[in-house]
Amino acid sequence: MLEKYLQIFKISLVQEFAYRLNFIMWRVRNVMQIFLVFFLWNSVFSDPTRMVFGYDRGKILTYVFGILILKAIVLSARAVDVAGEISRGDLSNFLLKPINYFKFWFTRDISSKALNLGFAIVEVLILFILLKPPLFIQTEIISLFGFLVSLVLAVFLFFLLLFLINLVAFWMPENSWAAQFLFIAILTEFLSGGVFPLDILPITVQRFLYLLPFPYLMFFPLQVYLGKIVGSQMFGGILISLFWVLVLAIGLNIVWNKGIKRFEAVGR
Amino acid sequence: MSKNAFLSMLMNRLGALVFLFGKILRFGFFIAFIVFLLKGTNTLAGYNLNQTLFFFLTFNLVDIVTQFLYREVYRFRPLVVSGGFDLVLTKPINALFRSLMGGADILDLITIPPLIVAVYFLGMSLNPTLVQIFLYLLLLINGLLIATAFHIAILSLGIITLEIDHTIMIYRDLTNLGRFPVDIYKQPLRGILTYLIPVGLMVTFPAKALMGLLNPRVTLLSLAFGTICLFVSLKFWNYALTKYSSASS
Amino acid sequence: MDRAIIVDHLVKNFEVTEKESGISGAISSIISPKKKIIRALRGISFTIQPGELVGFIGPNGAGKTTTLKILSGLLYPTAGFVQVLSFDPWDRKPEFLKQISLVMGQKNQLWWDLPAIETLELNRAIYEIPEKEFEQNLKELTSPLGVENLLKVQVRKLSLGQRMKLELIAALIHKPKVLFLDEPTIGLDLIAQQKMRDFIYEYNRRYQTSILLTSHNMDDLVDLVRRVIVIDEGRILFDGALEELVSRFAKEKIIKASLTKEDDIQRIETIGKVKKIAFPEVVLSIPREVVAVAAAELLQNFPIADLTIEEVPIEDIIRKVFRGEMARKKH
Repeated sequence: MLEKYLQIFKISLVQEFAYRLNFIMWRVRNVMQIFLVFFLWNSVFSDPTRMVFGYDRGKILTYVFGILILKAIVLSARAVDVAGEISRGDLSNFLLKPINYFKFWFTRDISSKALNLGFAIVEVLILFILLKPPLFIQTEIISLFGFLVSLVLAVFLFFLLLFLINLVAFWMPENSWAAQFLFIAILTEFLSGGVFPLDILPITVQRFLYLLPFPYLMFFPLQVYLGKIVGSQMFGGILISLFWVLVLAIGLNIVWNKGIKRFEAVGR
Repeated sequence: MSKNAFLSMLMNRLGALVFLFGKILRFGFFIAFIVFLLKGTNTLAGYNLNQTLFFFLTFNLVDIVTQFLYREVYRFRPLVVSGGFDLVLTKPINALFRSLMGGADILDLITIPPLIVAVYFLGMSLNPTLVQIFLYLLLLINGLLIATAFHIAILSLGIITLEIDHTIMIYRDLTNLGRFPVDIYKQPLRGILTYLIPVGLMVTFPAKALMGLLNPRVTLLSLAFGTICLFVSLKFWNYALTKYSSASS
Repeated sequence: MDRAIIVDHLVKNFEVTEKESGISGAISSIISPKKKIIRALRGISFTIQPGELVGFIGPNGAGKTTTLKILSGLLYPTAGFVQVLSFDPWDRKPEFLKQISLVMGQKNQLWWDLPAIETLELNRAIYEIPEKEFEQNLKELTSPLGVENLLKVQVRKLSLGQRMKLELIAALIHKPKVLFLDEPTIGLDLIAQQKMRDFIYEYNRRYQTSILLTSHNMDDLVDLVRRVIVIDEGRILFDGALEELVSRFAKEKIIKASLTKEDDIQRIETIGKVKKIAFPEVVLSIPREVVAVAAAELLQNFPIADLTIEEVPIEDIIRKVFRGEMARKKH
C-alpha cells in the first residue's frame, strides 16, 4: 500500500530532474526575491539596536530567512498542474485507475517540498555565510512544538487551497490560470507574510486578516517560532488554522464531486 | 495586429480581467507595504514616505510601459520554434519592430494613464524645479531606451540559442529589485544593480534627478550609457540575424 | 458471472453552450448563454459475454466513444442500466478499475519526459501487481510488439508508432478482464495496423479478455471481429454476426465480367444494373435471389471471357446502414 506512494514520490522526483534547468532557475529566483527583502530590512535596521513593529534586527532577519525555508516547505507544490490536467482532459487517465487523485497529488507535493527544502537549506547556509545576519534561535519547547504543529497544518491548508483553486478548471478550463494567478501568486504571496511581515499593518487590518486562512500559511508559524505569539493566542491561532483545514477539506470534497459530474472527459 | 489580439482576448475576457485585477491588487499591496513601513520607520535609506513612493511609482511606470510595448517578446520563442519567424522576416514590416512590438496589450493601456497621473501629483509634491522635471523625463526616456535595448538583446539571444523564457525571467527578477531605491543594497550588489544590470540607472536615477540628488556628471554618464546600450543591442540584433537558422521543416 | 457487460436502455444527454462569433456574440454568450441538449445515446441495449471480441462501428458523433466512456466509469449515464463485471462503473471501485482498461488514441498516459519504464513501474505500484507477475506481463507484451529495447528511452524521443505500442502496454500491464479500445488503428500505417490487429486477436484468444473496440476502419471489422454493433445517432441499428449484416443488408450481389469484344450497353442492362463499364471490364449489380440465373444468361448470350460473383463491399453496406436505408425498412 505504501509502495504506491513511494513510487509516486519517486517518479515525481525523476520528473523534476528532467526539468533541471527550470528547477535551478526557480531556486535562483527564490533567492533573488529574498535579496530584496533582506536588504530592505537591513537598511531599516542599520542601527542594530533599533526596535520597530516589535522586531529587532535579529528577529526580522530571521523572519526573512524563515520565509525562504517556509516557502519551500509550505508553498512548494506540483498541484499547480491539476488545472491543466483537467482542462486537457488528461484527468480521465486517473479516473480509470485505482488511485485516489488527492493522495496522488499530495504525494507529488511532498516530493516537491522535500526537493525544495533540500535546496533552501543549502541556500540559507550560503546566504548566512555571505551576509552574516544575526539569527534568532528559539529555545522554548512549547514555542517549538507550537511552531511544528502550525507548520503541519499550514502544509495541509495550502494543499487544500491550491487544489480548490485548480478545480475552477472544471467550469472554466481556459481561465483557470487567472484564478491561480490571483489567489496563489498574489493573495497568498502577500497575505501569508511572504513579502512583508503582517504586523506592520494596522491592528484592525491584522485582526481581519487573521480570520482568513492565508496568514496561517507562513506568518503565523513564524510568529510562533519567533516567540512573538505565545500562550492562549498561539493556541487560538492553531484552532483557527485547524478550522480552516476542516472547512476547506469539506468544501474541496463538495466541489470535486460537482466537478466530476460535469467533467465531459473532453477530447474525443 | 492589436485588433486581433484584442478580439482573441475578449474570448478570454474573464481571465484577462481577473489577471488585471490581480496586478492592480499587487500594486496596492506594495503601496500599503511602503506606507505602513514608513509609518513605523519614518525613513528608508534616508528617504521619506513621499520619496520612497515616488521611487516605487517610477519603477512601475518604466516596468508597465516596457511590458505594454514589448509583450510580443514573450511570444517570440514559439514564433521561432514554429517557423513563424520566417514569415515575419519576409513580410514588409521591419522584423525587429514586429517581434518587439506586435502584441501590445490593450488592457495595460488602462493602467498607464492613472499611473502617470499619480506620478505627476506625487512628483509635484516633492517641489522639483523645472530643470529637475526636465532631467527626470529625460532620464525616464533613457531608462526606457535601456529597457528596449535589453529586450532587443533578449530577442537576439533567442534567435541564436532558442532560449528566451529563462532570460526574460532573470531580467524581470533583476529589474524587480528596483522597486525600492538601490541605495538599500550594500556594495557590491548596489554597484552591480546600478551599472551592470542597470536597474539603478533605469529607475532610481530619474527619480533621484527629480529630487535634485543626481550630480550632472552622473546624469550625462547615464545618458551616454543608454545610447550606447541601444546601439550595441541593434548591432547584436543584426549579428543574430546572420546566425539565424530557420527552424521550419 | 455469465455476462461481462450489460447495457439496458442507456440514455446519455450532454448540455452545451453555443458560442457565437464576433464581439457581440461573445458578449451575448456571457449575459444569456444559449444552451443546447445533445442526445448522444437514445436508449441502447446490448450484452457482451466474457471473452467476446466485439466491433462497435458508426460515423462520427454516433455515440461510440460516449458508450465506452460510460462503460469505464468516466461519464455518468442520464438514464438506463449499466453493469460491467458485476460493478456499476460510475462507482469507480478500485476492484473494478483493476480489471478494466480504456485505450483512447489521443489520451496519453506515459509521462512525456521520462522513459516508458518509469510509467510502467508507477502502474505496477498503482495496480498492486506483484513483482514476478509484472516482469512476466512485461515480457509477454513487449516481445510481440518488438519494443523491449525502447523501454528506457524518453517517451518524447519515440516515433508515433512506437509510442502507441508502449501506451498499449501501459494500458494492459495489469491484465484487465475487460478492454475498451477507441479507434486502435487510427494513424498507423498499413503494416502497423495489421500488427495491431494480430496483437488484439492474439490477446483476446490467449487471455480470454472481453474486448470492445470502436473503429471506422472496415479492415478492422473484417479481419478481427465476428460480432458487430452498428450505432448511429445514439441508436443501435444492428447487433449481430458480421456475415448476417452482409446477408441482411446486402440485397444484391456483384457480378464482375470481362468482355472479349465491345457490346451494346443497353443490351447488358437487360440482365441487371450496370454499375461500371470500362472495356473490357463491366460491373453489374444483381438481386441476390437471381444472381445465378443472371450469370448463366450472361455466359450464354454475351461474349464473356471471365466472370466472378462477389459480395457488395463492406463499406457500401455500412454506408447504406448509416444512410438509414435499413432504418426505414422495418425488419
